[in-house]
Amino acid sequence: MTAPALQQPSSQQTPPGAEAPRALPPPPPAPPGAPSHRLRFAVGVLVASLVVTGLSWMLLSRARAGAALALEERKATVATLALADLVVRAGGSGDGVRQALAAWQQQAPAGAQAKVIAFDGLSLEAATDAGLGAPRRLQRDEKPLYDQGQRLRAAVETNREESVVRKEEVEIAAQPDGSLLLAAPVELDGQVRGMVEVRTPRVVVAPSPSSGSAGLALLLPLVAFFALALVLGERRVGLALAATFALALGVGFYAWHSVSVVVEDRRAASEEVADSVRTQAETARELISRLGLPADPPVVASSWDADAFRKPRGWLTAAGQVDAGVLAGRLAQASGDVVRALVAVALLALLLLQAIGLGSVGALGRTLVTHRRAYAYVAPALVGMLVLVFFPFFYGITLSFTDSNLLNTSRPLTELWVGLKNYVDILSDFDLSRTSADGARVANYTNFYWTLGVTVVWTVTNVVIGVSVGLLLALVLNTRGLALRPVYRVLLILPWAMPNYITSLIWRGMFHQQFGVVNHVLALFGGEPVSWFETPFTSFLTALTTNGWLSFPFMMVVSLGALQSIPVELYEAARVDGASRWQQFRAITLPSLKPALVPAVILSVVWTFNQFNVIYLVTAGEPGGSTEILITQSYKFAFEKYRYGYAAAYSTVIFGILLVYGVFQNRVTKATEAV
Amino acid sequence: MSAAPGERIPHWPLHVLLVVAVVLTIYPILWVVTIAFSGNQSLAISTLPEDPTFWDRLRAITPWPQTFSVSNFTSVMTEQPFGRWILNSAIVSLATTVVGVFLACTAGYAFSRFNFPGRRTGMMAFLVSQMFPGTLMLIPLYIILVQWLGLGSSHIGLVLVYATTAIPFCVWMLKGYFDTIPKDLEEAALLDGASSGQIFWRIILPLARPAVAVTALFSFMTGWNEFILAATFMDQELMYTAPVGLRFFVGGYSQQWGYFAAGSIIVSIPVVALFLFLQKYLVSGLTAGSVKG
Repeated sequence: MTAPALQQPSSQQTPPGAEAPRALPPPPPAPPGAPSHRLRFAVGVLVASLVVTGLSWMLLSRARAGAALALEERKATVATLALADLVVRAGGSGDGVRQALAAWQQQAPAGAQAKVIAFDGLSLEAATDAGLGAPRRLQRDEKPLYDQGQRLRAAVETNREESVVRKEEVEIAAQPDGSLLLAAPVELDGQVRGMVEVRTPRVVVAPSPSSGSAGLALLLPLVAFFALALVLGERRVGLALAATFALALGVGFYAWHSVSVVVEDRRAASEEVADSVRTQAETARELISRLGLPADPPVVASSWDADAFRKPRGWLTAAGQVDAGVLAGRLAQASGDVVRALVAVALLALLLLQAIGLGSVGALGRTLVTHRRAYAYVAPALVGMLVLVFFPFFYGITLSFTDSNLLNTSRPLTELWVGLKNYVDILSDFDLSRTSADGARVANYTNFYWTLGVTVVWTVTNVVIGVSVGLLLALVLNTRGLALRPVYRVLLILPWAMPNYITSLIWRGMFHQQFGVVNHVLALFGGEPVSWFETPFTSFLTALTTNGWLSFPFMMVVSLGALQSIPVELYEAARVDGASRWQQFRAITLPSLKPALVPAVILSVVWTFNQFNVIYLVTAGEPGGSTEILITQSYKFAFEKYRYGYAAAYSTVIFGILLVYGVFQNRVTKATEAV
Repeated sequence: MSAAPGERIPHWPLHVLLVVAVVLTIYPILWVVTIAFSGNQSLAISTLPEDPTFWDRLRAITPWPQTFSVSNFTSVMTEQPFGRWILNSAIVSLATTVVGVFLACTAGYAFSRFNFPGRRTGMMAFLVSQMFPGTLMLIPLYIILVQWLGLGSSHIGLVLVYATTAIPFCVWMLKGYFDTIPKDLEEAALLDGASSGQIFWRIILPLARPAVAVTALFSFMTGWNEFILAATFMDQELMYTAPVGLRFFVGGYSQQWGYFAAGSIIVSIPVVALFLFLQKYLVSGLTAGSVKG
């Protein structure tokens, strides 16, 4: 034999899963004297209450801190926009501005600072800090101020041009010392001509939620459970219900507490903002009459309570009073959010409670201890798989029930929930053609069933080509005494060794319409150059050629390995019996190939079905997405059309197809083995 | 045909067939080598005159450069950040190999030697995870790695993803091999007072060297050849891996075929060499998982 014999793997002698593993550790002993149901449920209630109270306390304090910060920002925005309004009325520069700033400072909280910048003459027009010596030209180290002003001007102009408000017109930056630094544009006659900058005094840290109510929320379920347990005794179902009730009691109490805290906070915050708006408005009116500033347009104080795009938030009436209707709506929304969050936490805790109470946690713990060595060996891989394979998978499935896209990724998934809509959209669209703008019927290549058809044709043709070419070459190479066999073998295996993205890009180059080698070869034999990527059929052929080229060596190597393991004696015996060459092939060669070829075909079906690189890099779906296969199509939905939810549903359908195929082929192989 | 001894059939038709197959097989490789050594960025081997003769056309498909130059290789390494991209790929692939092989060896050993609750489920889950479509995982992975863990454009993020993608195949492969190592060896070692850790590191792993080598090759190739994830996560040009960089040369409106060809050759040489060296193990590993008997 000149060729290096392809070693049959020793692992095939004892195939995995063919027999039960011989375990080293003994079976787990039965737990001696399991603790009573009452004790277990008591522990469950304690743990679940701790979890629920702890988590909700954290959520509540975070929500309060967030609300406090938001309140400071609102108040600061009111102060800043009021100042900007005054500066505009005072003409943007000159003594009026300085008087307006002085009046503004009178009513501003102690420690608030402000600067007014005018772009004309690059000047610092006014500043609350007398040490800065306003008015004067901006100095070199104040360049960032000027840049910020220009940025705001650009934002205002962009928003106006696009008539879509997407650039922030008020910049708010939290400072390291806890104060806020705000900047707003000064607009004169529709043009941004300056900027005001306001620095608030230090923001007071939000109060933590009271620990008293948290303690009560912890104690309440325990007391309730003990009372009920005394009555119930050791009845499991009764205890489970009692524990659930006790937990619900605690959660209900804390939910009531949280909602009232949040609602009270919100109400107080609105009042506070309304107060500050009214004070600002009075100052403004007083100043206008004192300095004789233009009173037209009239002061609309509520417009100062605005977001970063200078759109009024709508909480206040024009007179600067809290709008009761709006407030009630927002409060209902806020308490709804609180209740939803608490219910989620409570369900988690309930699961934990029942797991502990019914003994699953105990059993789990005992199993972990008994088999700790095995679990220690599996743990690293398992954790990796859970975090980076299984969690993303289930997250992706969840995503498929939402309308998630590029514009709404920051919103929680529950708000984007659309149920089965994506699946219905994908699977119920049977229109393989549609009417284009000029009334003609054109094929609809983005239709799921078209792409599915292409994928099936793609998979079948590729596997047929791969198996036939590979098997033919293997049979030829298996000829005894054939010269140069190792050389042929290594050269024929090269396409498999090359990274397939490189292969794909090479073939894309070779199919180039003007410079590609394939068209040169056609021309050599008198053919016309073909624009390969302009019709679906030729475009499909390029991908098929590429994938055929890179996939036949696998089949060849697998077949060659199987062929070389057939004992020569079999053929000799057959010849003695007078079998013809064809009979020998049918009776000996083919059956011996089957155990190696069947798994190879199964593998290559899955590979080809998901062959992303070849389609994506060779045809890129051209023309018009007609040569897209399912996997590349779903990639395009996700990363070119940014329809994340739809793309996730599309991928889930692909997974479903593969799963059905997997189960089906498993049945078939089992059936063929049984025969 | 599997001709039996003593029965001679003429070999020359077989040689003709094989030569044709070999020419078709290696032509694209010769083509890329030609472009690489041509010294310019065109994807044509030679420029055709206005009215080409047969010989001009034949010249245009002969994979031999008109002028021989290594300038594509020198400029791709010096003028383009390709050296940096190769380095990125090397770091990522080697780290993937180390992490992947470690995780797969421990898990494969547990699946092979211990009988514990969840063993069958775990193995089936690993198998099924091979069917998860990549596009379904891409968006969640992006959210987890880039937005939650802040590992966008970093080596660690890619290494973690590649290592875990390679795990299922490697675990099945190694488990199959561990199954063939006789139990008696371990029992003898146990009697001699060896600890479980010693048995694993000193006895099992050295015996399983061929399987570990294939696992390592597979992990390395996963990292070295992967394209989509790297293209999605690495948005800084300096952090591109070699595949993303190669696509950068000829993707979109960029048509630097000379750089692409030179880069392809540099990238392919190590994997092709490794592959040819270890391929017989790879084949057996691929089929062993599902073959019965």
